[in-house]
Amino acid sequence: MSKIESKGFDFVGKAPVLGGISLFLVITSLIFLGVRGISYGIDFAGGTEIQVRFKEQVAIEKLRALGESQALPGVSVQGFGDGVEYLIRFQTVQKATEKETNEHQNQLVAKLRTSLDQEFAAQGPEYRRIDSVGPQVGAELKKNSMLAVFYSLLVILIYVALRFDFKFAPGAVICLFHDAVITLAIFVAVGKEVNIPVLAAILTLIGYSLNDTIVVFDRIRETEGNHRGQDAAKVINKSINDMLARTLITTGTTFVSAICLMVFADGVVSDIAFALTIGIFFGSYSSIFVAAPLIIVAEKLRAMTEVKA
Amino acid sequence: MESLKWRLSLAIFGVLLMVVWFAPNVLNTEKVWWPSKQKLNYGLDIQGGLHLVLGVNIDGVMKESATRLSAVLSSQMEKEGIAGVSVKIKDAASGEFEVVLPSDDAKAKVTAFLETNYTNVLQQMSASGSVLVYKYYENYAMEFQSKILDQAIETIRNRIDEFGVAEPSISRQGTNRILVQLPGMADAEKAKSLIYTTAKLDFNIVEERDPAELAGWIAEAEKAGNYALGTLKYSEYVNRLNTDLAGKLPEKTQILFEKAENVQALEDGKIPILVRTDTNLSGDSLNDAFVGYDQYGKPEVAIRFNALGAARFKEITGKNLQRRMAVVLDKVIKTAPVIQAEIGTGEAVITLGGSRDRQKSLDEAQMISTSLRAGALPAELEQLEERRIGPSLGSDSVKKAEMAGLIGALIVIVFMLLRYKAMGVIADVCIGLNIFSLISLLTSLGATLTLPGIAGIALTVGFAVDANVLVNERIREELAKGGNFLFAVREGFHRAFSAILDANITVASTAVVLLYFGTGPVRGFAVTLLIGIVTTLFANVFLSRVIVDTLMTKFGVKKLSV
Repeated sequence: MSKIESKGFDFVGKAPVLGGISLFLVITSLIFLGVRGISYGIDFAGGTEIQVRFKEQVAIEKLRALGESQALPGVSVQGFGDGVEYLIRFQTVQKATEKETNEHQNQLVAKLRTSLDQEFAAQGPEYRRIDSVGPQVGAELKKNSMLAVFYSLLVILIYVALRFDFKFAPGAVICLFHDAVITLAIFVAVGKEVNIPVLAAILTLIGYSLNDTIVVFDRIRETEGNHRGQDAAKVINKSINDMLARTLITTGTTFVSAICLMVFADGVVSDIAFALTIGIFFGSYSSIFVAAPLIIVAEKLRAMTEVKA
Repeated sequence: MESLKWRLSLAIFGVLLMVVWFAPNVLNTEKVWWPSKQKLNYGLDIQGGLHLVLGVNIDGVMKESATRLSAVLSSQMEKEGIAGVSVKIKDAASGEFEVVLPSDDAKAKVTAFLETNYTNVLQQMSASGSVLVYKYYENYAMEFQSKILDQAIETIRNRIDEFGVAEPSISRQGTNRILVQLPGMADAEKAKSLIYTTAKLDFNIVEERDPAELAGWIAEAEKAGNYALGTLKYSEYVNRLNTDLAGKLPEKTQILFEKAENVQALEDGKIPILVRTDTNLSGDSLNDAFVGYDQYGKPEVAIRFNALGAARFKEITGKNLQRRMAVVLDKVIKTAPVIQAEIGTGEAVITLGGSRDRQKSLDEAQMISTSLRAGALPAELEQLEERRIGPSLGSDSVKKAEMAGLIGALIVIVFMLLRYKAMGVIADVCIGLNIFSLISLLTSLGATLTLPGIAGIALTVGFAVDANVLVNERIREELAKGGNFLFAVREGFHRAFSAILDANITVASTAVVLLYFGTGPVRGFAVTLLIGIVTTLFANVFLSRVIVDTLMTKFGVKKLSV
């Protein structure tokens, strides 16, 4: 059993300060999400989106006027910047029965398409995408997605507790929660709607952050085995320092790839890459500054309850 | 190192298998013989197409069948000599009946009758005094519901197949939903309209009335309720009219309309006809329907009944000589010929009145016979979700994502080379093999690649790079401690393995949860992630070790730069 020399950066020593910042960020994010509210996209809230492209430029006002004249509920028209491609979206109106709600929505879509075809016949509208989601499907998707996130966190908690030690488990899950909440808040803050792709993005981030945390934990477990009875803070510091090169390289390479995807790809892939870019940063940060120090907290808590018992 | 021979063979076998599975994506397997034919499927978000989620009104069918059963039960029991039993519906949706006995003596007989004839259908719930309560067995109800859903799927498939859409996918979603996925926009449009064509065929005996009298009643009702055909859909209009006129019309009759001659649509001219609703012969009893021609070459629809239908048809035609029989398609009377003789052959024709345009009549005849042949839908459909992706959008996204992925991969590859030199080359080769294997496995499993799936591939590459970085950094660490290269390599792989394995298992378990709870795109993501974990372990852990070991033992390489 060799003694650990105190060299390298004192990560655990910085934990109280950074932990405070993290706690502040998570609470701010939660309050922000609570006050601002998550704006769900049509996948979860129901509604219709029609992405249409014209052969030549069409003024956005004309499309807005068309939307108004059709009395589409909560209609909005958004351009893609080139004057030929637009996204028209409107909400679902709740009717007496689900069936009527769905029929009403389908009628609105059909009516809008007919008038687009008629009024802009010269500009040759091409429908790039039509998404129309009824309210029941949306509500169900929302429920299933929440369940999916909840159960995946539960599975991680159990696996980490069994494979490592109980003291590792809270750190892993709290760290994922930390990353997911902050990323979600950033998503909402930059005005992105929460849709299935965004959900997939958050899941990607959870996957990435989890990978990172487990790698750090593995190293702590190994160092712990070699230096039994040593101060936990020293063990953790040594582990993180020993693998700092790996953490920086992996973070760096994946960060660069994610930025490439975010900048050059579009749509779903870009959204997912955006979450990854944020997630890689917070994932690496939280594995080191949140998950690892929490092992000490969990250990202390356990010692306290054991003394009491 | 004895096991190296085995590991090397396994590695070569694995890579060959991947080549076999991957090749159909680039080879023309129709011209060149190749053991595997499966190609990679692209999701609708990539290749474009129509995605529909339909709700099936199973409750409606359950109610309808309960109503029918209650009527059948009392008449059946009467035939068995148990008179005076009345069967009431308590709860139609779950199939709960109340059997009210005329006297206590009948109790044993009714119980015995129901037990022998409805063994697996009805379950006695309670028997107090002269009232017996029966309910569908849970199993029966579930099977019944599942059958309705299957039948609806079958019907939709038949209808779409008639129009020859390439590779439609029609599947069940949950207990009361159907997911229809049709690649390609143009066909999808046509197919969608066909899905919603409910072709319900009925044969009704006509109750002769003076059309002027009927027209008078109709005008009155329209005025009183302030509605007309045109403001209401036809089916709604007919329902409304018959409800309003219920007091005036004779029992068990309703007014339906025939299109007047030489008009385009029912709105322009319609002839009211009073028909009996108790004729009890419908399109379910058909065996076949096809386009035929009358003696003047005018298109008509020829129909052939099944055995049961033929018997019923014979009975009806025999009983109603010289009366008119209306052929009703979706509540519109197509034709109403006078029955000249009893028809025992089980064959009949539907002549199409109205239009003089031959092409139009031919189209109509084809449409009717297709709808009849493909069968009527057993339950009402309701559209819950519709997504259409134009083909250009998907391919644009894929091109951009591919380019972005390539740029990202290039940067990573160059970096690995600079940082790890010889070991970097091996890492790069393994990352390449990883992506290759991932696509091979996706292909061979018949999985569908969607845009979230591509994100899953991106994440896999991230994990793969991490695996190699972990190993190589560990080797460097061990070398720095002063170990020889052989020892460092062994330690590097051995130590890094536990971290890689744990990380991959946790990620895999979340992927399994996503696969179970997720829908559509989330599942596509989970599938690629799961397969990606397998290929990462294969390529970046197993293969890279085999390559290093082989170089050192077979080719006498003493040290690789790292």
